[in-house]
Amino acid sequence: MTNMKISDQPAQTPEVMIGAISRLLRDGEWVATGTLSPIPAAAALLAKMTHAPHLTTLIYGDPDFRLSEGFHELFALAQKGKIDVFFLSGVQIDKRGSINLSMLGDYNHPTVRLPGGAGSSMLSALVRRVIIFTTSHNQRLFVPKVDFINATATDDAPWRRGGLSHVVTPLCTMAFDGTKKEIILESLFPGVDLEEVVRNTGFDLGIGGRSIPIMTPLADEELAVLRGPVRERMRLIYPQFAASVWGS
Amino acid sequence: MHSDLMKVRRDLKTVRDPYSGNEYVVVLPVIPDVAIIHAAKGSRNGEITTDATRNDRLLAMAAKKTIAVVEELVEPEDVLPGRQEVFVASVHIDAVVLAPGGAHPTGCPRIYETDAAHIREYVAASKDEQGLAAYMEKYIFAPEDHDRYLEVVNFRGGNSGSSTSGNRSGRKQL
Repeated sequence: MTNMKISDQPAQTPEVMIGAISRLLRDGEWVATGTLSPIPAAAALLAKMTHAPHLTTLIYGDPDFRLSEGFHELFALAQKGKIDVFFLSGVQIDKRGSINLSMLGDYNHPTVRLPGGAGSSMLSALVRRVIIFTTSHNQRLFVPKVDFINATATDDAPWRRGGLSHVVTPLCTMAFDGTKKEIILESLFPGVDLEEVVRNTGFDLGIGGRSIPIMTPLADEELAVLRGPVRERMRLIYPQFAASVWGS
Repeated sequence: MHSDLMKVRRDLKTVRDPYSGNEYVVVLPVIPDVAIIHAAKGSRNGEITTDATRNDRLLAMAAKKTIAVVEELVEPEDVLPGRQEVFVASVHIDAVVLAPGGAHPTGCPRIYETDAAHIREYVAASKDEQGLAAYMEKYIFAPEDHDRYLEVVNFRGGNSGSSTSGNRSGRKQL
């Protein structure tokens, strides 16, 4: 027990997702995370403490992230073009990379009414890269076509700066193919079968004849930083998430 | 709309508000490449407090880059706005420069007053090229740094004793 390294415990699914997102972040980028985004927040911290020391992290709820008067300043930064990466999720995500945060079913007679799109539409157009993260992977989430579009992966709006970059789920990473304007499978997490991903996705993942690589497992150093200093920061920012993944 | 400004500013355009139907003059946003603002307190994180009656936070948010010149460098937890100050978050600030007396010959509210005598001297000197050149030489080109400048202008005021020692400029590390 005493000789066990911190990295000896196998990586849990949220840790693999955090590692996958961390590797998508590039040194020097301004990375912002919104509400209810513990996995992206941990990923931004992990990236900054490993391969991207010059990352600027704007983490909602971080006691070290002080605004002057409100979260609208973050929207203003996005409008100015200062935010490189933002994270979104949805209750439905489709092949074209659109997300739904509003409701399920018919808009006027929804089966489920949800909080709505908030700033997702504006942010997805005005930041350089959007990374979608999900905490499940099934056909209710990944649908052929969303019931309501809150944010598009790309479109021809003249003010648009960027768009969808990647989707990270508990099973895999997907990339947005800017030419086909479709989500395609990029890599499988260690231990995940291709068939499991295909079976749980409600649209064609553009695999064709490609061989889908397995993501390189988290290195000892990544796990040690994640379970050390990142965990300590996450206990302040997202205490419930930290407790659920790492214990108290 | 009905002022003579519209006669002399032919570049100004009007637009009909699609909700009320009213016609309004619209102007393009001003987006400075660099804003330089003066503040009372700042931290190495890039947080500052500035005078509430000015619009320096708006300026910092509008500019592509903002440099804050501060009277005093303090710890992040001490960057707290006073009764007549506002806080400006570090996301709007690109660099912090410690320069006590840095607002001279204008003032820094509640720390030192405008140096009216110096401004009168400048106004008199700037009436002709020769006078302006002499002023520039004496106050701007000859003093080798900010401390010498403060000596030459006989600056009194500010946070006594808080100047000069150590590293004067705090490049923020986010």
